[in-house]
Amino acid sequence: MASSPQIVSGEYKFGFHDEVEYLEQTKRGLTRQTVEEISRIKDEPKWMLDFRLRAYEHFLARPMPMWGGDLLQIDLDKIVYYRKPSEGEEKSWDDVPDKIKKTFERLGIPEAERKFLSGVGAQYDSEVVYHSVREELSKIGVVFMGTDQGLKEYPELFRKYFATVVPPEDNKFAALNSAVWSGGSFVYVPKGVEVPLPLQAYFRINAENTGQFERTLIIVDEGAKVHYIEGCTAPIYTTDALHAAVVEVIALPGSKVRYTTIQNWSNDVYNLVTKRAHAHAHSTVEWIDANTGSRLTMKYPSIYLRGEGATAEVISVAVAGKGQHQDTGAKAIHLAPNTRSRIVSKSISKDGGRTTYRGNLKVAPGATGVVASVRCDALLLDEGSRSDTYPYIDIQEDDTTMTHEATVGKISQDQVFYLMSRGLTENEATNLVVQGFLEVFTKELPMEYAIEFNRLVKLEMEGSLG
Amino acid sequence: MTAPEGPPTAHIAGAAATPTSVASRQAPTDLTLSFVDEATVREVAAAAGEPEWLLAERLEGLRSFDALPIETNPLYTTYVDLRNAKLAATRPTLGRPDAAAAIATDPKLLPEGAAGYAEVSDDRVTALVLSPDARDAGVILETLAGLGRRDPEWLRRLLEGGCTLPERDKLAQLTRALWTSGLLLHVPNGVRLERPVVLRWSVGAPGSAVLSRSVISVGEDAEVSVVEEQVASAGSVGADSSGPQAFFAGTTEVRLGPGSTLSFAGLQDFAISQVAFQHRSAVLERGATIRWALAHLGSRIIRSRIDNALEGDGASVEQAEIIFGSSDQLFDLTSYTRHIGRDTTGNLLSKAALADRSRAYMKGLATIDKPAHGTDSFLGEFAMLLSKQTRSVAIPSLEIDQPDCRRVAHASSVGPIDETQMFYLESRGIDPDDARKFIVLGYLEPVVARMPLESAQNRLRELLDAKWEAQVGTRSGASAVA
Repeated sequence: MASSPQIVSGEYKFGFHDEVEYLEQTKRGLTRQTVEEISRIKDEPKWMLDFRLRAYEHFLARPMPMWGGDLLQIDLDKIVYYRKPSEGEEKSWDDVPDKIKKTFERLGIPEAERKFLSGVGAQYDSEVVYHSVREELSKIGVVFMGTDQGLKEYPELFRKYFATVVPPEDNKFAALNSAVWSGGSFVYVPKGVEVPLPLQAYFRINAENTGQFERTLIIVDEGAKVHYIEGCTAPIYTTDALHAAVVEVIALPGSKVRYTTIQNWSNDVYNLVTKRAHAHAHSTVEWIDANTGSRLTMKYPSIYLRGEGATAEVISVAVAGKGQHQDTGAKAIHLAPNTRSRIVSKSISKDGGRTTYRGNLKVAPGATGVVASVRCDALLLDEGSRSDTYPYIDIQEDDTTMTHEATVGKISQDQVFYLMSRGLTENEATNLVVQGFLEVFTKELPMEYAIEFNRLVKLEMEGSLG
Repeated sequence: MTAPEGPPTAHIAGAAATPTSVASRQAPTDLTLSFVDEATVREVAAAAGEPEWLLAERLEGLRSFDALPIETNPLYTTYVDLRNAKLAATRPTLGRPDAAAAIATDPKLLPEGAAGYAEVSDDRVTALVLSPDARDAGVILETLAGLGRRDPEWLRRLLEGGCTLPERDKLAQLTRALWTSGLLLHVPNGVRLERPVVLRWSVGAPGSAVLSRSVISVGEDAEVSVVEEQVASAGSVGADSSGPQAFFAGTTEVRLGPGSTLSFAGLQDFAISQVAFQHRSAVLERGATIRWALAHLGSRIIRSRIDNALEGDGASVEQAEIIFGSSDQLFDLTSYTRHIGRDTTGNLLSKAALADRSRAYMKGLATIDKPAHGTDSFLGEFAMLLSKQTRSVAIPSLEIDQPDCRRVAHASSVGPIDETQMFYLESRGIDPDDARKFIVLGYLEPVVARMPLESAQNRLRELLDAKWEAQVGTRSGASAVA
């Protein structure tokens, strides 16, 4: 309070500048008015406003989590919680840092796509591609649209499932997202429909201004099948330092869902994401998750196995370089009989980077006949880097079969030496060993993603070796 | 759950720990002790005629106890449960410090094959015996009170600053503040005792609280083995878990000189009315080795913590713990192993066999500091579940700051009795009940085999056998029929 006169005088001096520049956004910082304003701009039903306000109250009441990465550097008062999407929002290509432009070049990403990825272009023609994809999908009854649009066009379906997997009270950043969410994808796949191609979030990302508080809701009806892909290998350039997303997946009986993420935010972003799926009877949910970017990522994709015979799989990869902390992992919560889960985690720390695996494997009373496995491997490439592993294994049924293994080590010099004796340079040899280490992940990707991901890892490695 | 999909429920427990809705119910982290205050600390110190520095030392412990929560490590806050500890009525006996006159020294008390024997019955040291060869070699086995009278400066060097006890552990600091009996075992440089020293505790009188410290110091290139037996005293309440409880808090504080070795085998078989907090800590210099082999059978609640600090190059720890649980016992075991010197080795194993509604929390953390080149670290936590109501929690964690290691790995598995092993034994004509028993007792054998004294080995086998028969054998047989 003592400092408020200074703020006032600051506004007096510089405030007029802001007024002109940012007409389309809420004021910096989060108040009840901000939340109400967001809901009003979006013209939302009353229940959503109430939901946002309830989440806002919880966000205020909830203390900052202290068990993981260092969150104290985040200045929640400096953040703009909502920007109204508009063509006027364009940034200039000249504003994009050289380092990122260079990475685009080396990844071989086309010019137009580069602009779009760096948040510069509304003129990128993915709009056209997106529309033709949507037409194809709507023929088979698949809904794939922005979450705001989903709320308007499918109010009942939306309300039935929204926040049922991740309630706002789940954690502080889920509460924040619930209060100010905007953008994200809304997907519904009808009974028995198999979506032939992966749904790629970035087809529509510029149309919806997918941003820092995106909210994705995916409902896959009985016997249906879908693969959803978000992110891309190119570094996503953003001027916002906080990304707090919530992803909810509902896999109804007999369905199959795969959710692939390649996260490569620029290295100043705090990426605090809650991803969770409910797997009903005989459904399969797979999280394929890679984290190479951001300053701090805290993300533990989880699957609640609620129906008999459900299957969960998480393959998680993290690469932490200079100044980065990847605090990632997975959770499998077995709540029903004869459910299965497999968690595989691979992490690489280099140039002083830090990776943390945090996992939870839980078998609740009544979940008989569970088979579960967890495997964590970490590579530490140099002195000064760090790797932590914190697996929680909580078993309350006697006929569970659970195995957990973890190893931490450096790159095998024998392997590097062998490859060098076959004519590879040290860099090439090290690269190849690292790519082999990550193969359990890359082999799950569609080919074009796999190629780009390998290139990305190679770039990261060159950074460390050169 | 916790913030971004957060680590396992840590904050659920946090929330549960501050009861807002059900104020009358005891929270998992609540511990009510009626005797922990400054007046009692001063009374204990005055009764023993302790010097000013020792009183200050105790008061420091009390301050830490008051300031700390039950669990300071945010990784483990979910896995504390003291709801079955009803200790408000327990009290230590005051004004009766260890006095030389009350301690038996008859050589006949020495168990067969042992080099030394110490006995603590309920709240006081009742026997201290050394074999002639051990005494001639300069081995010392005495009460801390006795040491304080004989060589106050030595006692001060041993205890001041909390010795090797973890600073940020509320319960260790409780014992630091209020211990009423204490032991020192000292093995001088170069002395290798072939036969073990036996330390025997029998406690458990209803309403009693026994707080005790044991310090073991092993000189350069010295070698010793210790068998610790913790049993229920004659006055304790067995069988019925709803009766009045007894409280025990004990420490084993070990300093190992360069090149020295300590093999420590512990067998805990307190009564079901006992709540026990146990702290064991070891600081290892260059080339030193410690081998812990600990069997946990008794107590309603046992909360145990081991701290191994591998400070010297080439130091090594081998640790094996077994749990055999039944009824509603809770075995809450934490171990911290810190690799600091070069080429240190940590080989840690916990195994639990759980029947009835018993629970095991196995929390292990291996930390590899920057200077710890060439570390070899393995951490294994395993559980065999013998009933539907058991719960096994394993958290085998690693924190690694040095990539240049020989090996860093951990493993964990949980399951019921292996059906293929059952099939094999049954196909050999072995009765299913016997087959089950062989498999379970065989699973726990690693610690039995490490007991350095044959009589202790046999005793542990007998206890496991008896516990199996009493708690599990008949019941599982019945369910197999049903």
